[in-house]
Amino acid sequence: MKKLFLMVLLIVGMVALAACSSGDEASSGSNSEGSSGSSGADKITAWAWDPAFNIAALNKAKEAYSGDGEYEVEIIENAQDDIIQKLNTGLSSGTTKGMPNIVLIEDYRAQSFLQAYPDAFHPLTDVINSDDFAEYKIATTSFDGEQYGLPFDSGVAGLYVRTDYLEEAGYTVEDVTNITWDEYIEVGKKVKEATGKNMLTLDPNDLAQVRMMIQTTGSWYVQEDGSTPNLADNEALAKGFETYKKMMDEDIAKIVSDWSQFVGAFNSGDVASVPTGNWITPSVKQATDQSGKWAVVPMPRLDMDGAVNASNLGGSSWYVLNVDGKEEAADFLLNTFGSNPDLYQTLVKDIGAIGTYSAAAEGDAFAVEDEFFSGQQIISDFSQWTDEIPGVNYGLHTYAIEDILVTGMQDYLNGAELSKVLENAQSQAEAQLK
Amino acid sequence: MKIFQRASIYTFLTIAAIVSIFPFLWMIVSVTNKSVDVTQGRLLPGTHLVANLQKLFETVDIVPALINSTIIALISTVLTLLLASLAGYGFEMFRSRGKDIVFTILLLSMMIPFAAIMVPLYRMFGSVTNTMPLFGIDSLGAVILPTATTAFFIFFFRQNTKMFPKDLVEAGRIDGLSELGVFFRIYVPTMKTTYAAAAIITFMNSWNNYLWPLVILQSPEKRTIPLLISNLGSSYSPDYGVIMSAIVIATLPTALVFFLMQKHFVAGMMGSVKG
Amino acid sequence: MSQQLTKKNELDLPLRHKETKRQKTNLYFRKKVGWLFVIISIIAITIFNFYPMVQAFLLSFQSGMGSNLEYVGLANWKRLFGDPTFIAALTNTSIFLLIQVPLMIVLALFLSVLLNDPTLKFKSFFRIAIFLPCVTSLVAYSVIFKYLFGVDGIINQFLVNFGFASQAVNFLADPFWAKVVIILAITWRWTGYNMIFYLSALQNVDKSIYEAARIDGANAIQQFFQITVPMLKPIILFTSITSTIGTLQIFDEVVNITNGGPGNATISISQYIYNLSFKYTPDFGYASTVSYVIVILVVILSIIQFRVAGEKK
Repeated sequence: MKKLFLMVLLIVGMVALAACSSGDEASSGSNSEGSSGSSGADKITAWAWDPAFNIAALNKAKEAYSGDGEYEVEIIENAQDDIIQKLNTGLSSGTTKGMPNIVLIEDYRAQSFLQAYPDAFHPLTDVINSDDFAEYKIATTSFDGEQYGLPFDSGVAGLYVRTDYLEEAGYTVEDVTNITWDEYIEVGKKVKEATGKNMLTLDPNDLAQVRMMIQTTGSWYVQEDGSTPNLADNEALAKGFETYKKMMDEDIAKIVSDWSQFVGAFNSGDVASVPTGNWITPSVKQATDQSGKWAVVPMPRLDMDGAVNASNLGGSSWYVLNVDGKEEAADFLLNTFGSNPDLYQTLVKDIGAIGTYSAAAEGDAFAVEDEFFSGQQIISDFSQWTDEIPGVNYGLHTYAIEDILVTGMQDYLNGAELSKVLENAQSQAEAQLK
Repeated sequence: MKIFQRASIYTFLTIAAIVSIFPFLWMIVSVTNKSVDVTQGRLLPGTHLVANLQKLFETVDIVPALINSTIIALISTVLTLLLASLAGYGFEMFRSRGKDIVFTILLLSMMIPFAAIMVPLYRMFGSVTNTMPLFGIDSLGAVILPTATTAFFIFFFRQNTKMFPKDLVEAGRIDGLSELGVFFRIYVPTMKTTYAAAAIITFMNSWNNYLWPLVILQSPEKRTIPLLISNLGSSYSPDYGVIMSAIVIATLPTALVFFLMQKHFVAGMMGSVKG
Repeated sequence: MSQQLTKKNELDLPLRHKETKRQKTNLYFRKKVGWLFVIISIIAITIFNFYPMVQAFLLSFQSGMGSNLEYVGLANWKRLFGDPTFIAALTNTSIFLLIQVPLMIVLALFLSVLLNDPTLKFKSFFRIAIFLPCVTSLVAYSVIFKYLFGVDGIINQFLVNFGFASQAVNFLADPFWAKVVIILAITWRWTGYNMIFYLSALQNVDKSIYEAARIDGANAIQQFFQITVPMLKPIILFTSITSTIGTLQIFDEVVNITNGGPGNATISISQYIYNLSFKYTPDFGYASTVSYVIVILVVILSIIQFRVAGEKK
């Protein structure tokens, strides 16, 4: 009996020991006290997700920092979905331990975070001047009269086209510049006839195309308050749905089911155009054998009054969490992304990241000619289109509503009546999002 | 007839094997291809093996992640096997009404999706972070504990104990062994294949565990392999050749553990012990 | 072997008398010892599972964005029944469960019996091959599945070239076929996993029983149903229950292969829970409610399975 008791004790001890020894090993590394240590932090942490893009941008910012703050900036790479899970788990548990000081959040999600965790973010209203940034970014990065986000990359969209395929079908780049989606479909039909290639890829589970379409008219899934669903009486959305169906019906779209197929389609020359955000540029250029065969033109617009040839997909902004080290974090952001035009020149030159800091757009780096795009000044073009993007408040429910709409789109493609589909989606959204 | 039966068994197994291996082989072939080819599902080996591996080792710290994953998986496996077999044995060998009820309640713990208990669990570990940093957020202890204590393997060991010849235990007691003596000297060696199966599965579960390490670990140097791979995939322009290289490297240890352990699944082993 | 066996039995008989007396005096003691074997696990599971589960249960009566939760009573539970996404998820998950679990269990059992045959050649190779799917990375196999079942994928080329279909089927965009693909994918990935449990359990079946049956003239199929299945009953029960739990919580396959689509045709309960917690503006309260639906389902199904297996003695 005693022996057994001893054994049990031993096992409990072993458990503790095992955990301890691993813990020791864990704590011997540099720890993340930057976010949780005593005030006047000597180290702050920043989370972002793409080593070739926003992580690289943070590194450039770190090099460019010229303030007199004596703190170290630790840059940590986490996948975007991982950041969302970590923030949600951490913030909702009320434990600020392990949370970063600076975090990059996609614009579509920003309002969710700001409203779901009201005290978790540190306002930057007094730190940065929101007039310095592209106007369309402000609505999504602020809440309740306070500016929380420091706008970072532009999600400005463009239509990437294969000039060689267009030529084969008898078109020039000018023919697809500043066109409507209806005209785009006509071009697509001809291109398919002449080359056998599809005009674009569509993923039925991802309504990014529709999102970009409706933003050309300044409309969104929700009304201006950011939470009331705006589906049933949304003319732009109906038009977007019709256009989407038309592309399917006219058989000019290659169906893909995920990102790798999407990238694969244009890398292998299966499609004649890619209407998407400017951040796709590196992926397009990945197919080096296609150099000189691409051009970028403004996004097609919906055929509606007030629609413009500029839209947005994605894009993100920096936020400061309300934890120890927030002053330092704000100082870092202000000194770098918030006021340093030269930094943005570096970002464009070395990373290809297009910021939304207006003062930066005049620099030389923006005027550089890209060989891959036959010498087109794509950065300069993109940043010009950035200023034309209609500002909309993405609000709280972009992805929740999109999931409802994806189902609706399926019904619509299978023959349901559009007005019914959208009414249905409206009532479903109203029931779900209170 | 006999030959026909034999042939159909081999045919069936061969088809099953091909279907099973195919994606695995493709995964290995992809390591030699560049990203563009991977996204197009290229089936032939390419020439990018060295380039992919080079880029992988240059851009990410895969070795520390492998070490972390190995430490976590090994401790988890040993801990799970020990605790679960003790409990499974206890529940079946010393069966009583009370224990049956407790066992049924323990089974309940497997039934909730992990995502639902994650936030409370995180809060719990958060609250001890200051007093017991070895079990707090960002510690390997916190990664291991919730996963190493699972009703799944208690259930597994209990069910296997049902098939364990009880007279062996009696024999042991007669020989003057203590209860723990019986367990370690008779039960453990007899149930070798059960332990082998459990070891394969625990190791694999722990090695592939994603959601919990993701939320509880914060510093990059403590990252496990699945977290590292998740990072590789989230870039706007992911390099699938490199991702596949990381995946293959990450898969090998589990395949190896299986290879080593499956040798215990040799028909007739129990017979010799029993005889 | 048989010699040893008889020897032990001879020794056993006289000793057993003595033992019974000691046993009686120790009965009380032994009961306590039994608890010592299980106590650590009980404590650990209480801390790391039940405590958070109770918290999650309390959450299921709250609702709100992120950390702004308030008590809403049974509102979440009422919301469930009017929530088309939830109903779709529940239906899909039930379909997966009803078709996939029996299919996989039978297949795994069948394979393990074949692979346990001592006269079979290349046993190790087949075992490893069939186990490989569950270590193959999800990323790799979802790319492969999408590729195989794509409009211009291998399966379609086969179907069209051999005249089984007049034109390519867009498997992943068709609500029915997408479900089939998911069921195939789950079965493909987890059959080898379950096979391991059977293989290990088969080692515990006394070979002499088979010999006796063979002498009595039982063929392979009769042996399978009259010896193997009854002998493995505890493990079959174990795998049925764990597979039921696994399939009810299915997440990876669905997210990676169809992402719940087309529309909501393959969305699973777990994916919906994930969406409610992380994809949308987080509502952990409602997500907990949906989680508890899984708990309730598993409890009911487990009771049925235990009953069918005749565990309660």
